[in-house]
Amino acid sequence: MTEPQGLDQPWRIWASAAVVAILLAGALLGGIIIPVVQGQSAGVDAFTAICRAIGILPGSPARPQPLDRNPPSPVSQVVWTPDVLQVLARADTERGRTKVMEVCIACHGEQGVSPAPVNPNLNGQSGAAIYKQLHDYRTGSRSNDQMTAVAQALEEAVIADVAAYFAGQPKRDPNPKTLGGSRPEIVKLVELGDPARGLPPCAACHRPGSGGPIETPILAEQSNEYLVHQLQLFATGQRRNDVYARMRTIAAGLTSAEINGLATYYRAGFK
Amino acid sequence: MRNVERLCLAHFWVAFAAFIVAAILGTWQMWVRSPLGANLGAPETYFMSVTAHGTAMAYVLTTFFIMGFGYFVAVTALARPLPGKVWAWAAFWLSLAGTIMAVATILSGRASVLYTFYPPMTASAFFYIGLVLVVAGSWVWSVLMIVAMTAWKRENPGVPVPLAMYGTVANAILWLWTTVGVAAELVFQVIPAALGFVQTVDAGLARTLFSWTLHAIVYFWLLPAYIAFYTMVPRAAGGRLYSDAMGRLTFILFLIYSLPVGMHHLFMDPEHGNAFKFVQMLLTAFVAVPTLLTIFTISASMEIAGRLRGGRGLFGWIGALPWDRPMVLATGLAFIMLGFGGGGGLVNMSYGMNAMVHNTAWVTAHFHLIFGGSVVIMYFAIAYEIWPRLTGREHASPAPLRLQLWLWFVGMMVMTLPWHWLGLQGQWRRVANFNYSDPIIAGWGPWVIVSLIGGVILLASALLFVRNVFDLRSSRAAAADRPLYALAVYPPQRVPAALNGFGLWNVLVLVLMLAAYGYPIAQFIVAPSPGAVVHRVE
Repeated sequence: MTEPQGLDQPWRIWASAAVVAILLAGALLGGIIIPVVQGQSAGVDAFTAICRAIGILPGSPARPQPLDRNPPSPVSQVVWTPDVLQVLARADTERGRTKVMEVCIACHGEQGVSPAPVNPNLNGQSGAAIYKQLHDYRTGSRSNDQMTAVAQALEEAVIADVAAYFAGQPKRDPNPKTLGGSRPEIVKLVELGDPARGLPPCAACHRPGSGGPIETPILAEQSNEYLVHQLQLFATGQRRNDVYARMRTIAAGLTSAEINGLATYYRAGFK
Repeated sequence: MRNVERLCLAHFWVAFAAFIVAAILGTWQMWVRSPLGANLGAPETYFMSVTAHGTAMAYVLTTFFIMGFGYFVAVTALARPLPGKVWAWAAFWLSLAGTIMAVATILSGRASVLYTFYPPMTASAFFYIGLVLVVAGSWVWSVLMIVAMTAWKRENPGVPVPLAMYGTVANAILWLWTTVGVAAELVFQVIPAALGFVQTVDAGLARTLFSWTLHAIVYFWLLPAYIAFYTMVPRAAGGRLYSDAMGRLTFILFLIYSLPVGMHHLFMDPEHGNAFKFVQMLLTAFVAVPTLLTIFTISASMEIAGRLRGGRGLFGWIGALPWDRPMVLATGLAFIMLGFGGGGGLVNMSYGMNAMVHNTAWVTAHFHLIFGGSVVIMYFAIAYEIWPRLTGREHASPAPLRLQLWLWFVGMMVMTLPWHWLGLQGQWRRVANFNYSDPIIAGWGPWVIVSLIGGVILLASALLFVRNVFDLRSSRAAAADRPLYALAVYPPQRVPAALNGFGLWNVLVLVLMLAAYGYPIAQFIVAPSPGAVVHRVE
């Protein structure tokens, strides 16, 4: 280049100074001033606020979370890691059948159709849903006089085998005839929810054949009494193994007439 | 011209072939999303169509157009033969092969992941490999542009590089910087996942690397429009460029401020601390500076032209401008769309307001208005300006060209303004269909129909563009040999090395990128997050 140095030098100095100044201003504002001020109103000390802003510590400098230093206890120990999914994928339905004949058959029937309406039907249920519930009984996330003891006696791999066996039993047949009796407001609740009360549609997660989150159970052809009982347990907080308290929140917003109506709807099956 | 006509035309034909297919798909998508065509397309078909539309418009139209335009500028502005023409043809065929590979994979239904690369959802590896080939071809183009400018500077020591070429090389260097992020994401994360070599992928890292590319890429698309604003529009209007230095500064500011800003696409993401989001938000605000400089400089240049043509008074010069010339008309229309789109962009980049429009139709409206509107209308104007120079035949009448530009402008405004409104009401983007019988969203229906009308007007304009280009083949009028590039009011005699090269600016880009992305990327390597299970759609 033959341009004189004198012409270029100010450019190099001032351009670099401008860029560095902008960066420093950004770092000062975003990394120190704003988080410290936000932290003051949220009761977060300055050092923690700065660390959170930079991303070294989790959380926001503008919120006082976490509320306490106790480790949070998850509502369920089940995490859908690749390892767990592999266990489910490798489940052996024959071994599952043997265990079902030994233990489950008395209350849930040979094919998962329960003789007593207070016990859930398991035929054609999502394997992931059965796995999660059995696992939750085993770890104490969900409790039931009979099931807690039964599940604690099962090993991890056997749980997956049993789940796979029931999942492989005949699917529940959607029944158009019995559905005719559902009241329009119940059908609306299922299909559209009630945004005014913050209730999402049931069908957002509970679909025929599969669910939204992987552990969502299929509800079609489930027994009326079982569904009413479970919704009541969620509503009162006695059952609490739903991740993010989804079902507790929803069930607590339902009237008892709606609980009965929804149980009847799902008793009937899908359109 | 030194025998690069066929090279440029080959690029333009591929670019606009992709464009017309994508325009038809886009209109179909608007129709099935509207109450008129509700539920006529399965969601799978819709997402396949969106993937094809986005890939064709954002990767094929732009990359091929910019490469062809770059070769044209290198030969005409520098007035010397293109170096490495064999390489240029090889890059063309490589990119074309990549395009065919990606399109075939999309049409087979094995790549319906839209045109953004957000794992754990992955398409067939052929989709990604095809796009990598397109990018590899464009890297060859970038190197050729740098080589051409360097050789010219060696032959013309101390002489300022012509502004059109300076802008083109700025874009080439910008593109080399830009593609590093997505290339790293594809090569190290997405393609191994798509091929089944790995079962989990760090989604946060992938999103961060993609954000590196995601915003700078739109400036890569935009710069040809700015090159036309600075170097062609003042001449077309019959005036002179108000300031050559302002043009150089604009291209430099785009180079340094379009890269360390991509995290404004991740404001709602949890994987980064607020401080880095804030710094990148601040840097994003500085991207507005070169656009404001351009609005000022080009308006001043137009005023010079208007007054030379006898315009008087405060605004009289505006009416005196030759609006019948496509390049001038397109610039006026582009500025209007840039005004609306730029205002929307300021909302997007503001941390707080972004939360309200995040993932709504507002965002789709914004990038259609800025890119599809301001930028693509200038692609049309550039094509109308240089296509006759490439073929030696002139359009018989500029009337159909003007009609096409007007239709594009009206269609884009009618389509995107209701979209912005729907976005404010919460209409989601990237959703295949809506249940308009639902009373909660029933009110959206009429606005969606209005935007569909805009889409139909756009399709009419796209078809007219193709007809205009084809008409040129049978036109009997010979192209007049008139000058293309504008002179500056004070033509630069000598400029500082900083405004005649990119050494200093590359160092500053490196500093900014290290500051803005250093820790945010390093954190994934220092403390890896749990991987997400790869979800292959094929």
